Amino acid sequence: MIPLENFLVLSGILFAIGFYGVLARRSAILILVSVELMLAAVSINFVAFASYLDPDFFTGIIFSIFVIVVAAAEVGLALGIVLRAYRERATANVDEANNLKW
Amino acid sequence: MQRIALPSQIDRVIVGGSLVAGAVLVPVLVVLIALLGADRISGPELVWWLLALIIVAAALGAVLLRNVVRAALCLVIVALGIAGMFLLLASEFLALVQVLVYGGGVTILLLFGLMLTNAQDDPVVQDGSQKPFAFGVGIALGAVIVIAMTDATWNTGTRSVVAFRALGDRLYRDFGVPFEVASLVLLVALVGAIAISRRDRDEEEVA
Repeated sequence: MIPLENFLVLSGILFAIGFYGVLARRSAILILVSVELMLAAVSINFVAFASYLDPDFFTGIIFSIFVIVVAAAEVGLALGIVLRAYRERATANVDEANNLKW
Repeated sequence: MQRIALPSQIDRVIVGGSLVAGAVLVPVLVVLIALLGADRISGPELVWWLLALIIVAAALGAVLLRNVVRAALCLVIVALGIAGMFLLLASEFLALVQVLVYGGGVTILLLFGLMLTNAQDDPVVQDGSQKPFAFGVGIALGAVIVIAMTDATWNTGTRSVVAFRALGDRLYRDFGVPFEVASLVLLVALVGAIAISRRDRDEEEVA
């Protein structure tokens, strides 16, 4: 049987990689890709805990379904915003969208 | 349309990626099978190590590659690997949903986003100057999480496969209201996405 720590460490590494991507990327869509990585890492964590610690009620699996729903909604909405911003400003880089910078 | 060089790019991605993946994976597979033969690891653990290697490598590709299309395609590999992880964790339904939603829908949406913005003119992006800082913060965060996860002790119980019927009972009986709220969230988000990304010209025609 695979130890629970294996899954937890994998999800931690995946989360850190996604976090690096969010900070380092400039293109808004690549930032979205990194956010998806982080959400997937959290999903692994939920399912691992549900499967190892809570096999009778498996609440973590339900939560993981909601994570996937929110991720899908987030990608759709964020792409709408990115396309709009691209039409307005001809760039999809987040650090060039600085209208609110004071 | 002629400027979108997607098919040839995907060809090159598939061939090059397969060569690199094969060159890396074959030695790892040999080592793992040797360990399996020596009874150091079990069969599921072999699959786990292979999947973990694929997931981490593809995730690094998704955040490090300069070509945006390749980075987005790396996300497909990560999603499929995570579906495999869900299978190892005995939740088949989530594995199916993962393949459908991430491997299909989300990736297609992201690729469309790339094509509709600047990928067709300039598929190679430059990352920001905050890269070294981001690298340090990412390493620190990963180290903290890994240390915390390995330091704690978990009293793991027995595992059992979650049947579809049991999952459906739990989802629709105990989580009925959150389920409806989630569907409302999806509806509002998608209608909002259409409202935001609609062209101004159409708005003027309607008005």
